[in-house]
Amino acid sequence: MKRKIYAGIFLMLMFVNLIPASVWASSHREAPLILSDPNADNTDLYAFRNPDDPGKVIIVANYVPFQLPQGGPNYYSFGENIRYEIHIDNNAANNTYFNGDDIVYRFTFSKSNEDSSTFFNIRLGKRNLNTFYKLEKSVDGGVNFQTVISKGTIPPPNIGPRSISSIVGLNAPDYNTLINNSIFTASSGEKVFCGTADDPFFVDLGGIFDLGDAPRTATTPPVDGVKCKNISTIVMQIDIADLQKDNKPVSEAKNILDGDFVIGVWASASRQKIRTLNTGGSGSFSGAWVQVSRIGMPLTNEAVIPIGKKDLWNSLTPYQEAGLNFDPNLGYDVFADNFFNPELGLYMDDSKFGPAVPALAPLRIQTNSLGAFDFRNGADGLFSLKGSPAVAGTALDDAIAGKLLLPGPGKPRSADLWPIFHTGVPNLRPYQLATGKNGNPLAAGKPFINNFLPNGGDMLRLNMAVPPTLRNDSKFSSLGLIQAAVLGLTDPAYNTSTALQFIPNMDGFPNGRRLEDDVTRIELQAVGGVVLAAIGLPYDDHAGGPSPVSPRLLNVLGYTTGIEKNDTSFKSMFPYVQTPWPGTCSCAGLEVDYTQPEILPPSNRLGIMAPEIFVASSPNPFNNNTTIRYRLETASHISIEVFDGRGNRMNVLVNQQQQSGTYTVYWSASRLPAGVYFVKALKNGEIMQTLRVVKN
Amino acid sequence: MKTRSTSNRWLKIFSAFSLSMLLMSSSHREAPMISNDPFADNTDLYAFRSPANPGRVIIIANYIPAELPQGGPNYYTFSESVRYEVHIDNNITTAGDDIIYRFSFRQMNQDPTTFFNIRLGKQNLYTTYTCEKSTNGGNTFTTIISNGIVPPNNIGPRSIESAVGLNASGYDAVMNSAITSASTGEKVFCGPVDDPFFVDLGGIFDLGDAPRQNSKPRDGVARYNVHTIALEIDIASLQKDGKPVSQAKNILDSDFVIGVWASASRRAIKTLNSPVGGSPFNPTGGGSFSESGNWVQVSRLGMPLTNEAVVALGHKDLWNSITPYQDLANLPTFGKYFYNPELGLYMDDTKFGPAVPAFRALRIQSHSLNQFDFRNNAPGLFPLKGTAAVSGTALDDALFGNLLLAGSDKPRSVDLWPIFHTGVPNLRPYQLATGKSGNPLATGKPFINNFLPNGGDMLRLNMAVPPTPRNDPKFSSLGLVQAAVLGLTDPIFNTNASLQFIPNMDGFPNGRRLEDDVTRIELQAVGGIVLAAIGLWYDDYNPANPAQSPVTNQLVNTLQYSAGVEKNDTTFKTSFPYVQSPWRGTSIVRQ
Repeated sequence: MKRKIYAGIFLMLMFVNLIPASVWASSHREAPLILSDPNADNTDLYAFRNPDDPGKVIIVANYVPFQLPQGGPNYYSFGENIRYEIHIDNNAANNTYFNGDDIVYRFTFSKSNEDSSTFFNIRLGKRNLNTFYKLEKSVDGGVNFQTVISKGTIPPPNIGPRSISSIVGLNAPDYNTLINNSIFTASSGEKVFCGTADDPFFVDLGGIFDLGDAPRTATTPPVDGVKCKNISTIVMQIDIADLQKDNKPVSEAKNILDGDFVIGVWASASRQKIRTLNTGGSGSFSGAWVQVSRIGMPLTNEAVIPIGKKDLWNSLTPYQEAGLNFDPNLGYDVFADNFFNPELGLYMDDSKFGPAVPALAPLRIQTNSLGAFDFRNGADGLFSLKGSPAVAGTALDDAIAGKLLLPGPGKPRSADLWPIFHTGVPNLRPYQLATGKNGNPLAAGKPFINNFLPNGGDMLRLNMAVPPTLRNDSKFSSLGLIQAAVLGLTDPAYNTSTALQFIPNMDGFPNGRRLEDDVTRIELQAVGGVVLAAIGLPYDDHAGGPSPVSPRLLNVLGYTTGIEKNDTSFKSMFPYVQTPWPGTCSCAGLEVDYTQPEILPPSNRLGIMAPEIFVASSPNPFNNNTTIRYRLETASHISIEVFDGRGNRMNVLVNQQQQSGTYTVYWSASRLPAGVYFVKALKNGEIMQTLRVVKN
Repeated sequence: MKTRSTSNRWLKIFSAFSLSMLLMSSSHREAPMISNDPFADNTDLYAFRSPANPGRVIIIANYIPAELPQGGPNYYTFSESVRYEVHIDNNITTAGDDIIYRFSFRQMNQDPTTFFNIRLGKQNLYTTYTCEKSTNGGNTFTTIISNGIVPPNNIGPRSIESAVGLNASGYDAVMNSAITSASTGEKVFCGPVDDPFFVDLGGIFDLGDAPRQNSKPRDGVARYNVHTIALEIDIASLQKDGKPVSQAKNILDSDFVIGVWASASRRAIKTLNSPVGGSPFNPTGGGSFSESGNWVQVSRLGMPLTNEAVVALGHKDLWNSITPYQDLANLPTFGKYFYNPELGLYMDDTKFGPAVPAFRALRIQSHSLNQFDFRNNAPGLFPLKGTAAVSGTALDDALFGNLLLAGSDKPRSVDLWPIFHTGVPNLRPYQLATGKSGNPLATGKPFINNFLPNGGDMLRLNMAVPPTPRNDPKFSSLGLVQAAVLGLTDPIFNTNASLQFIPNMDGFPNGRRLEDDVTRIELQAVGGIVLAAIGLWYDDYNPANPAQSPVTNQLVNTLQYSAGVEKNDTTFKTSFPYVQSPWRGTSIVRQ
């Protein structure tokens, strides 16, 4: 019964794949578009069961890459005029080929300036580029939307202590208070946070994109290329019952791999079709919404899709992609061959470019697994089994999914990489662990995954029935499902029976994706054939016997890019992503050795150290009258006397004992001739200051 | 004679100004647009006489801020959709630009089957450019470089030097081979380089905490790259009459002043194509776009930090969208940011001074010479307007008094506004206090003449001023401020009022050298240092006390003030293009 549904879905997929080759043949793109539009750039997507509240699922969608914490004066944030969306498919049976979403969350942001007279982002309690959002939800494939949060707030950028917690800034107790104040509950029950966070991703960008030098072969240590960078995050916590296609809570799951609890998650950003720049520094937007960025599985568009197709890939929905992916009748495809024969596979094959990429030397794809199967690019993989009695009743049976999983010769990874990214993996033969298979990969083995949602599109697929592994469990591993397979093959707690058991990290990537999962490592190991080995298609050096373990498998399992975890911790509670790096923190910028010089007090206008008396006149020069001000530091006998240029005393303005303080004396010189006069200040009979004044 | 003709030009500008005042709207902008468009974001502009080749001027315009050297898989580069332009005004009597260099870029993928940027000698997003030049205000352009090459990003040794990459002998070789000579004689380089700017972004934008009061300063753009357009141009090609510098009448010859600004423009309309729907599904067009319409300026740069720390948020987008020639017409909008700069509030104890302890060393004159108050909204020198005292000086209404003494509450119309919008003439009172005998309006020692009174924000360089060798012990990142200090205090210069070359007279704000610490200089300038240099001393100088040196503690405090990050995080090249090779993606240990 269930198999029939799968087969029917696959047949439908094949039907829409009948597209003439000429339509897309000349679609070479120019520079990848999304580079020039960072605000709409979707960087990472996570979906995992909440370890603290296992009835709920956390989805994290990140945007706006490489945010410098110190990136003022206009700090990074979500953009206006962009639709940020999280899409969920929970029922492949009701998909059409252009829309299969069952739930869509749509976020739109708006900004306002509370004090546009300053260039600072925050000043005196006021915020500029203060950002709000509206969250709408659709449960009918995006036809109708209902507003579930009408005015959510996002915290300000974490500029630094003066802006956040000082009295001249926001006077907040601390930044985390601002985060917590921006956690909202939607009218439909979801908990939501939008704001800036530490980028939870970790990767040696510099090494890996220098022609695959990860781990680095030179003496330089690996470097987390997104260390100390922030991103703009959308985090949601959603009841499993709200995500499950029949609204069942997880307690009603038939088992921990219940196929009814699989969801496919993807995220996107869209802009309106036409952007018009107006004179005067404003822009306007019109027309239909066009998708400019999407993400499902990590690294698909970074390290699988080649540059010539990246822009097209970003523009399609997974359902549209499914329509293009595969056509067994015409024998061509747009993206599928990048999975059937991945570029990375060339670098793990000594007959191709393997020798040119020494960092990947531990990864060598099976060329002769079980003496029969070659999975290197261009080889046939399992195709020789197609239609044979050996695959009858397995997923590879043409009556089930064989037409997709074994579409032809020369497509070796149609059996593992393509379905991992496009359908999920069913709990069917041969996709069970080698444990219990007695050396026959097509035999029934120990179940370890079922995230099968065969819509054909790139999504993050999570079986919500799989319990979460506690983050403090000693068996918790950033290797995710790979580690679950290792335990299922080698740990006596699991490898003595083919019974369905919860194995730690069955809730890890590629069954969903946890913040901790080292997806770069896992995907490189997967291209290196580790999934094939796990299901009993061992490496070339396998000496026989039921266990697929061999030195080469250990090489693959030991392979690491060198950057295995995030550069900071995760929060132990919602929103799980960590507080953003502040702009003033020790990793934001290069420290410079500088000591501020002592700030000197104003000079003594007498040129001596302690000004006992300080006299000034205004105006000077003057016509008839001028005002003389003086300040006394200590009580003294003071006289203020005026002399002409020849030294004759003309006036005595003051002659008395005075307390410290400031005094004003008015001098009328209307009867005196124009010229230079000297005002002398005497303290206890001693001349302290002489002021030169000019009568015009 | 000369002053009269200049003043006629001012009259022309004035009439234009009063006409267009009515056209101004007060529309408030939304979020600053350009921060969403990094490829068109003009980050810095430099113009200086080449120390290695003093007959030529170097102009450097940088774009694309904060490029991570490791920013793969698609490394940053110039955009195909943007017009990058360098503009030069050399003649106040001709309207608008006299010379425009326009750069347009093209990209191609030499191997679209890989996600790597460089593989097996092939380069993706391989970028070439066309440089066109106009010498008639942009009416017609002539192509002077048709297939210039932008070097690849400095990804790492495997991509650049190894046999499976480009197999180059080193990145500098790649960079040098991309230096091109235009058919009109300019030397040109376009490509990624170390960002030569240096600033404690994190500190200063945390409400002015520079230098940081509780920790060491940090260079916020250290270890980042930008994309640069570097030009080396004969002075004779820039001078309005085609004269070489040898024909300059003196080192402050007005005929050798140029104003330089840079911009980026995009087409007015961008249309995103979507994959065509329906069945069968047709992906053609997905992930592509088309552009049409007029070119619209989206970013510009003349003087550093204008739009970062002078113009307030509400007007930044507008400022980016207009040309310098429209600045004067927009004086009602932008003038106030110079007459009464926001930063001035933080250097005044009666305003927000106490709230910004990092600026404690900077205190604007409130009773200079016992009379003049330059704090925000104070009269400044306005009481002198129309008096006999200013007769014959630049402040005379018959000359420029109406702009320089713009009102009784516009104290900085006399220093900050002209520094950014007209340059400073070699006229009283804009001469050093040296020789003035205490009267700031008297004739003093000349130190600047970059006067090109078009009213627009530009980097103004008097090309007749000789370059200071970078290894001169008197070379200073304080630029013209240091020239003033030497002119006031160094016995070689301070004993007479005659025109002499003082080291760093070729420094910012007379043009801008790569080394100049413009953040520090501009903060000092807001703090009143230019006023002090011309004899409007700080409050703690008593003009009636002949024994007191005008170099008072407050002046010393201002001179010593520093934002803490005083130089670039690496060296500069000693030859063209002077900016340093870009940081390598694999050599970044931390940002």
